[in-house]
Order: sequence, then structure tokens, then C-alpha cells
Amino acid sequence: MKLAVVVQRYGADLNGGAELHARYIAERLAKHVEVEVLTTCAEDYISWHNQFEPGVEQINGVPVRRFPVSRERNVEDFGRRSIQIFEHKHSLAAELAWLRSEGPTSPKLINHLRRHNQTYDYCLFFSYRYYHSYHGIRATSQKAILVPTAERDPALGLRIFRDSFRSVRALMYNSPEEQTLIQAVSDNGDVPCVVVGVGSEIKANPEPERFRQTSGIKGPVMIYIGRIDKNKGCGELFDYFQRYSRLSPNLTLVLIGKTVIPIPDHPKIRHLGFVTDQQKFDALAASDLLVMPSYYESLSMVTLEAWALGRPVLANGRCDVLCGQSIRSNAGLYYENYEEFAETLQAILLNRTLQKTLGQNGQAYFGKHYSWPVIERKYLDVLDLLDRETTGPPRKLQPLPGWFGRHRADLPPSRSVVEGLPSGPVLPSPTSASSQTWVGFS
Amino acid sequence: MAEFNIQSDSVDVTKIMGEIRQRIREKRGTDYTEQQIHELANVKLEQFLDPRQVRSDLVEHYRNLDPLDPIPDSGPGTDPIPEAVKFDKETIYVSSRGLMGTLIRLIRRLLNPILRLFFNPDPIIFAMSRQAEINIKTLELLRRQTEQMEQIGKKFAAREALDTLNYEVLNNLVVEMTRLAVDMKNHKMQVESVAGRLDFDERRAKALETVVQNRSSAQDGPSNTAETPGTAPASNRSRRRRRRPRRRVVPSTQTPETTASGRSASPQNAGKKPETADSQSLRAQAITDSAKAKAASTSREPAEPRAAESSPVTPSSQNVVDPGVAPPEARDTDDQ
Repeated sequence: MKLAVVVQRYGADLNGGAELHARYIAERLAKHVEVEVLTTCAEDYISWHNQFEPGVEQINGVPVRRFPVSRERNVEDFGRRSIQIFEHKHSLAAELAWLRSEGPTSPKLINHLRRHNQTYDYCLFFSYRYYHSYHGIRATSQKAILVPTAERDPALGLRIFRDSFRSVRALMYNSPEEQTLIQAVSDNGDVPCVVVGVGSEIKANPEPERFRQTSGIKGPVMIYIGRIDKNKGCGELFDYFQRYSRLSPNLTLVLIGKTVIPIPDHPKIRHLGFVTDQQKFDALAASDLLVMPSYYESLSMVTLEAWALGRPVLANGRCDVLCGQSIRSNAGLYYENYEEFAETLQAILLNRTLQKTLGQNGQAYFGKHYSWPVIERKYLDVLDLLDRETTGPPRKLQPLPGWFGRHRADLPPSRSVVEGLPSGPVLPSPTSASSQTWVGFS
Repeated sequence: MAEFNIQSDSVDVTKIMGEIRQRIREKRGTDYTEQQIHELANVKLEQFLDPRQVRSDLVEHYRNLDPLDPIPDSGPGTDPIPEAVKFDKETIYVSSRGLMGTLIRLIRRLLNPILRLFFNPDPIIFAMSRQAEINIKTLELLRRQTEQMEQIGKKFAAREALDTLNYEVLNNLVVEMTRLAVDMKNHKMQVESVAGRLDFDERRAKALETVVQNRSSAQDGPSNTAETPGTAPASNRSRRRRRRPRRRVVPSTQTPETTASGRSASPQNAGKKPETADSQSLRAQAITDSAKAKAASTSREPAEPRAAESSPVTPSSQNVVDPGVAPPEARDTDDQ
């Protein structure tokens, strides 16, 4: 069996969520099936500038075939088109133009998929919202498996993606919340799907003392790992932490990651910048808890890593996925305002039994659902099931309407579509709590 | 702060979050909104009035506070806000010439592809549409801010009225407190006065008893009495009594404390607050009375000079007698 993993960017040093997710899956599945990665030459996810050479190279034992991006993103044009389709009534042609503007536009990659359709048994597409996934799925719908990595953002309400969700052979969701969201927006309940998520490369034997010595940090530590951005809720986190710090001045907030917004000049906020994986896990092991202030997450890998190390998580309760994961795992608390932030933080820091038990639950949850054997088994089960399903009728791809149909501005603003979707965490029903039946084919 | 009954093998996050939210509700007392909580947090705790900490110039300080400047009225001369212009993708083709305008519009639409050969009007249309929307939103924002400013103005006016009331209440409060403080000091002086009188009466009773004992012993045996050491003969006593001045005036350099209590100020008294003019005059009056009474008792009670000097006598104004006239008790004694 030959599997094509199609993703917008790929590299050993790329740390984007979906890209890292794709690399982990490709490298793990390469042990069981033949895997080839199809990607672009881009490294920067904003401009899609061709940084790598086109052609084939090996990364960690997996062949990677790169295709050039035909045009870089024009940020102004993309912003203008985004406003047009997110906020106003628009046409299908406007959505397609938005997709071209978003990129990474690589017709050669799509042509390769069309020409070598028979070479691959299945094509595993990552990130539904990019050019490669939409056109790639249309080129190989009979063999397409989609890992949407969807968040509750306006792009989810675009009409063009409804066909993508309906026409693939299977969907690999990251969380039950993502499944609920996509099924509500596309009505694709008949498409086979499974909630998988992804594992993580946990460094063995992290040394918290090494982190304490090198950083000189004493006392309790709350850690944040990820892009320090307003969209990730970091502005709110800074505000809450500074207010909390007046009550409990011993706590230190450690930040790891690239900064986009200015970090407040506060004696108890320490920004360590970009660190190695070993340093990251050392810091995580040395911390008392991980904080995840993001409003929108498809699957927080950092959260899973914290649980893998037995650290509790304090998450933003307005993020359905994080809130749902905390409830299902019983391994984290969540907040929706400052009072809850202060109380939950205080509870975790002061109640050692609670902190320890949450961490243990996180470890158990990670081992049960996100350890690599479990993840690999789910992917392989999906492939086996699809092999057996070939006797059934193939999914039909809806053809695009004609010129007039595409230019008729009758589609609602996508933001209003997304706002109408169900929200809130997916809670395990009492009958299925023990067996976690939300994982599996529907 | 956070006490949960956690068993080592089971944690129910939903339950814990329910407890935390319940506790937050209890802390708030009621279900305040987030906005209300912020407002409450920003309010400074008002100090309760403590009589010992009220400044004597508080009312004056309050009176000297600068009044708030009145909010300037925009007045009728302000330019009216222009109406927002609607702009959409059809606007550039529209004509206002009635039926002919419809025809012109149709022709313009037909010639649109030729126009596009020269330039692309779509970005301009988009920009103008966005600008029109921005204008509308800006106007709406302006209108809301104007309403908010009007509300703020009303609040300021109400606040000024409240300030007047506050001033009146505060003024009355300070006056009453001052009156109470003066009353309290007067009462304290009266208590001391009564205590002094009581002490004086006790000593006078003892002195009388001593005199009676002496007289009875003198009647029993005069020689024995004359030979008794420490006891002067009656003739000597009367001579000495004449030598002593009848009046004793308190020296002006002597401090009232020393004179009244018959001893210098103790370390315990060193930390006391200075007395006000009223209390000082009252105390000076008491001291004068005390001195008079002492002089009288000294002239009457030669047998117990030590007790009269050491006892803290502070007779009240009720004990005040004419210095030239001996009290009835003294006259009785002299007669005897």
C-alpha cells in the first residue's frame, strides 16, 4: 500500500501545528506502509515564498516531493477578499478567488496528483482550508482522506469546503468538538470518520532541576508554550496574570515561543524565546501547570505533552476543544473570566493532591488515547476499512456550477454561518464514559 | 482558599468547576456581571470616621476644595453631522435622469467590459464600499459617544448636588463630634473632682478623730501628753499656727500638674496629649481650689501634715470657698 501525505509545508524544523502533525503521522505510518510526502517549496506560511528546492529529498527516512508555489500571497488582496466573503454576501467565484489568494497555489502539485492518481492507494490531506487540499481532494476524491484540523473560524462556513467534507473517503478528526462542528456545517454524517488526534515525541527523562538551575527560577511556575500572539489569548493571559500576581507574587509565568505581541515588563514574567525540544520538556517538567489561553484550537499538542509528563492544564473555557478535553480527561481546569482564572489557578497551586491527581489523569488519558500505538492503530484500521469498502459505491463529487451559477452572489457571510453552528464541549455520556465510544467509526 | 475533597484516584473536573463557580458566586454575594465586578473592584474603601483621627480643619479643607468645572456646552453653533453616503457596486453606473437615466445606466453596464480594458474598477468599488461602511460605523460611534457624554454631564450635575448634601452632613457630623468631645472632657473633670472631694472628706474625718483622741488623752494626763515625743504642747501649737500664713497662693512658675498632685509629672503622664485651653482653665481652677483646701486643712490639721502633702487633692469648683473665710469644719476646729 502506498500512501501520499499531502500538506502545505513540510520540514524537520517546521513547528506549525498541522505541519508537525503531518510529519509525525508520515514518519509513524512509514513503519507500516509506503509513504510519500507531497508538499510545496514554501517555508513561510504567510508569504509562501519558495524556500526549498523542488524535487525529492529524504527527511527522517520519508521521501518528500516538493512542488513550487506559482505565486506568493498578496497580503492586502487576501485581506480584502477575506472581508468580502467573511462579512458579506458573496458568490462561489469569490470563494474560489479567495482560496487562490490564500495559497499556497501550486498547480504542479495538483497536476502531479491527477497524473499519478493510480500510483497512490490513498491520499492523506492535512488542513482543509488550503489550496492543496481543496483542489487535491477534487483531483483524487476516490482516494482522499482528510485530516481537517479545523477550528471555529469563518473559513469553515465557506460553501466550497462543504463539498470537500462530503466527498472524501474518510475524515480523521482531532476532537469530538471538531467532528460536531464539521458535521453540522456540511451534513456529512454518512462519511466514515474517526477521532484520532496525534501523539507527540516526548523526550525521555526530562530534567526539571536542569531548567531551574539554568533559568534561576524558584518557586511555583506556570508555563505557556506556543506563539505569543493576541489570537492565542496571550493578551488576556498577561492581564489576568498581572492581576493575580498582586495577590500571589511568588508565581512565575514562563513563556516559550516566538513573540508577536509585546510582553509586559513584569518581574515574574520570563520569556525564554525559542528553545530546543529538550529544554522545552525540561521546562514543562519543572512547571506546576501549563496554561493554554487560546480561544480556538483544533488539538493542542502542547496540552497533550503536558499531560504526558503528568502536568495539569489550565485552559481557556471558551475554547470548546480545550474545555472538552479537560472534562473528558479530568486532567485540567478551565476559566472564562478573571475570577475563575484566579480560583482555578489557586486551586491547582495550593491543593497538591488535586494537582497530582489531575496530572495522573492526564498521563492516563494521554496513554489511552494519544500514545503512538493507539494512533497508528486507528490510522491502519481506517485504511483497512476503506480497503474493504471498495466494493461500495464511491463518493460522488458535486461538480462546480456554471459561470453564471458561480458568479451569483447568493452565499451568506461565512461568519454568520459559523456563528450559527453548535458550540460547547462534547461531554461523554454516562453510558459511554467508560468505553469512550466517541472514538471510532460512526 | 481552595479546599476540595479529592480522592487520590478520582477527580471530577465538572464538579470541581461547579464548586469553584459556586464559591465565586458566594464571594460576590449575588450574581454580579463582569462589568459590575470591575466597578466594585475599582471603588476605594471609604475610611470610617474615627473621632480620634478627624482633623480639626476637615470642614475647612472640604470647603476649600475646588468645585468641578462645568462641562462646556457644544452650543447651537456646532456643525451638524453629515449624513453617510451609501455606496455599492451599482452606484458608479446609476444616473439620476429618470427614464433617460435608466437608459444611460444600461449603456454604461454594456460598456463596462470596454471600461475594464482600461482599468479594473473592482478595487475602487470595494474600497469605496468599505469606506462607506466605515463612515456609517463612525457616525454611529459618534452618536453613541455623544449620548454617553450627555449622560456623563447629567451624572456630574447630580454629583454636584450630592456634594452639597455631603458637605452639610459632614459639617454637622464634625460639629456634633466636637461637642461630644468637649462634653466628654467636662465629664472627666467632674469625675476627678468628685474623687478629690471624697478623698478630702476621708482625710478630714481622720484628722477629726485624731484631734478627739488627742484631747481625750490631754484631759486624762497633761504631763504625759507634754512628754509624749513628737507632740507639741497646746500653747506651742497655737503659736505656730499663728506664724503660718492663712493663705497660700500657687506660684506662677509651678506647673499645674505638680501642684495639683503634689508631685512631679510621672513618666506615664509624659506621653499625654497637651490639654486644650478649656481643659487647662478648668484644671487651673481645680488646682487653685485644691491649694485653698490644702491651706485650710494644713492650718486645721497640724497633726497630719505628711498625709495632706502626699494625697492628690483636686477639689472641684463645688469645694471652692472664699479664701478669707474658713470652711465651717475649720471654724469648728478652731473653736475647739
